[in-house]
Amino acid sequence: MTSAKAYKDAALAARLSDRVYRPAEDSDPSFTAEVEKIGGTAAHLCFQCGTCTGSCPSAPRSSYRIRTFMRRANLGMKDVCLNDPDLWLCTTCYTCSDRCPRDLIPTDVIMAMRNMAAKQGIVPKNFLATVNFIYNTGHGVPNNDANRVARVKLGLEPEPETTCKYPEFLPAIRKILEAYGTKQLADKVLSEGQ
Amino acid sequence: MVYTGKNAAAAEAPEEPRIGVFICHCGTNIAGSIDVPAVRDYAATIPHVVVAQNYAYMCSTPGQNMIKDAIAEHHLTGVVVAACTPRLHEPTFRTATANGGLNPFRFEMANIRDQGSWVHMHDWDGGTAKAKDAIRIAVAKATKLEDLYPMSVPVEHRALVVGAGIGGIQASMDLAAAGIETYLIEKQPTIGGRMSQLDKTFPTLDCSQCILSPKMAEAGRTPGIKLYTLAEIENVEGYIGNFDVTIRRHARGVLTPNEAAAKGIIGGGCTGCGDCSNVCPVVKPNEWEFNMAPRKAIYICHAQVVPLIYTIDFDACVKCGLCITACGTKKAIDLEMQDELFTIKVGTVILATGYEAFPIEQKKEWGYKLYDNVITSLEFERLICASGPTIGHLVRPSDGETPQSVGFVLCAGSRDNTGIGKPYCSRFCCMYSLKHAHQVIEKIPGCRAYIFYMDIRSFGKAYEEFYYRVQNEGAKFIRGRVAQIQELPNKNLIVVAEDTLLGNQVQIEVDLVVLAAAIQPTAETEIVRRQFGVSCSGDKWLLEAHPKLNPCGTTTAGVYLAGVCQGPKDIPDTVAQAEGAASAASIPIHSGHVELEPYYAQCMQNLCAGCGMCTRLCPYSALSMTVVDGRTVMEVTAAKCKGCGTCGGFCPGGAIKMQHFTSPQILAQIDAFFLGGEQ
Repeated sequence: MTSAKAYKDAALAARLSDRVYRPAEDSDPSFTAEVEKIGGTAAHLCFQCGTCTGSCPSAPRSSYRIRTFMRRANLGMKDVCLNDPDLWLCTTCYTCSDRCPRDLIPTDVIMAMRNMAAKQGIVPKNFLATVNFIYNTGHGVPNNDANRVARVKLGLEPEPETTCKYPEFLPAIRKILEAYGTKQLADKVLSEGQ
Repeated sequence: MVYTGKNAAAAEAPEEPRIGVFICHCGTNIAGSIDVPAVRDYAATIPHVVVAQNYAYMCSTPGQNMIKDAIAEHHLTGVVVAACTPRLHEPTFRTATANGGLNPFRFEMANIRDQGSWVHMHDWDGGTAKAKDAIRIAVAKATKLEDLYPMSVPVEHRALVVGAGIGGIQASMDLAAAGIETYLIEKQPTIGGRMSQLDKTFPTLDCSQCILSPKMAEAGRTPGIKLYTLAEIENVEGYIGNFDVTIRRHARGVLTPNEAAAKGIIGGGCTGCGDCSNVCPVVKPNEWEFNMAPRKAIYICHAQVVPLIYTIDFDACVKCGLCITACGTKKAIDLEMQDELFTIKVGTVILATGYEAFPIEQKKEWGYKLYDNVITSLEFERLICASGPTIGHLVRPSDGETPQSVGFVLCAGSRDNTGIGKPYCSRFCCMYSLKHAHQVIEKIPGCRAYIFYMDIRSFGKAYEEFYYRVQNEGAKFIRGRVAQIQELPNKNLIVVAEDTLLGNQVQIEVDLVVLAAAIQPTAETEIVRRQFGVSCSGDKWLLEAHPKLNPCGTTTAGVYLAGVCQGPKDIPDTVAQAEGAASAASIPIHSGHVELEPYYAQCMQNLCAGCGMCTRLCPYSALSMTVVDGRTVMEVTAAKCKGCGTCGGFCPGGAIKMQHFTSPQILAQIDAFFLGGEQ
């Protein structure tokens, strides 16, 4: 039998075992753990060098700051993270993850936060429109006439080797989107008008 | 009380072991995670244990006195201390055991801290149970311990220093000043090392050559220093006090005046006049100037070399013979010279093998070797140095223009956990980059200096003040690690980083970028390390005997460390460690003899069948065959044996006994673990 060493005063033990510095009242230490679990990267090892934002193609064009999200993740600032529209400005190019000197994957931290936000129904409409595209065509960016002409010009068949050519596989894709509730989420949010 | 070798009580009743167990709290290091009173009560129940005590700090004087008193009171035959590690306190408790009148090798240690409380910090019951096991095992061994006597061997009154940078030079000069003849071995044609390549030194800004050259010259002419440049260690045999080191002197192709005199050439040998180099038709890049200046096939690295003897690069030499003609009657040049091997005998050794820059081109985002105007800090030192290829005029490599803005990239490859760079801090980059910024502001009016940093680590004496000074001079500090560097068509560079304090990405156009590249041990360090059997840490720096209390020693007795080969450090720290290493290396030499642990193998010659197979297995050539009473048997040269146990484990007849690690002792420990335990 094993038992953990503990202080007698339970409240004191809880306070001392909380290693998270929390600047805001609403910050949630379990948020850091949840982000690390979903993202599969040890986000708490970030030392805020800024290589990620420096590498980011989105940063010079937008208010998106990946380093700021890393900091917020480590401070447990769940509501701030999940409600910040900047969360959706990452292009997921993974350049920050290639260069991070601490060998972390900031992109996956963002992806984890997006997952958590989506579960709360916080998703921009354009992302959900993409869900509908996939549901209807199997593609986030469906084939179109201009594309078909270009493909023929290059000596390719007008339709690629995907659901475009084999629409009989579309039901399977729809099944996946429905099984994970993605389609239902898209319909719900889009119908509400957000 | 002086240890007398025999315990009177034990002599009277030798058959029954009487063991004392002493459990240390180590403050709360042990007592905070292990139930010490419970462990003590358990220890008292172990067979043969006659006394079990606990104390807050067993290594303190009262703690040691408990051991001493208990030996007398309980007529102990063996002592077990359950505490930290043998590496830390075995000598302490052996002394205490000896002071109590027992043979010091009647002491056995149970490690319940480093391998107990520290690893099971949050497992009170598990850690306590493990401590009980460890003590039971140690008691089992203590019941079988025998009296052993250390061997005293004489120490050769000479020392060897490997590497002649500032650390090696300082160590050699100290040893020579202490009256110890010292061999100083350097792989390059000249001594001086990295420091001779630097322009100025932080924070005082005194010129590196001005403070180093006099030391180089003195090292070259001190009678007590036998200097061998262009030389490497070929082979090492022996042990503390008696190292036999074989040196390979690479063919230099040029005779020193002494060598010429030995060959009967009166008034001959190289005088460093340079006539040979003037006529040499072969031009090669000078590696010492990072290939930014030319040299001939017969050359000196720079004007201040010690010894001032030219060197032939035999890989480049076409053996045209023009230099021989130019040299004339001095007859210093020998194009057919061969490598020379010779063996020296030394008592102690100091390793000072230094560092080299990490190949920073592996970090592709910064474009070193891809973009012309991205250089390393060592190249910057040569370009800003008055004796460098540009006579101190900083120019950018692409077009020879004077840069009007320079970006300094700190932590280039340091503090990098990606597996490409180095996880450690290279420690002096912050300071020399501040110095570089100062130099460009001072030398080029109006030139802007941008320092991209994560943290400025200005830790030394007057270092923080230097940071203040450079900031005051107008250097721009941008707190952010450089993400990437891009080259423009005009060869200017865009440095992209985040100003993390502002929270914005910045893209700054500069004329020149200087990468403060991480450092790593020289390639030779690994070779020399293996030759001397010295350990290294995970990052390949040589491992000191104790990170705090023995930073100059190694785990190999008689071998010491000086300078960066042990870990990144700046010039003051290198010199300080070199002086410490010289002091440590002179102690065995001055005391004249050392005591070796009696952990050597012994051949029980009545059991030895004389097969001789062990002699070939021994990595230390310590075993030989001899004839005793008409039988061929093995014989151990105790001073050479390191007690590794290779022979003992192999011997088919079980004729080899490893002292202090005998088969009965080890079997007793195994039995105690598997068969013992709480009832």
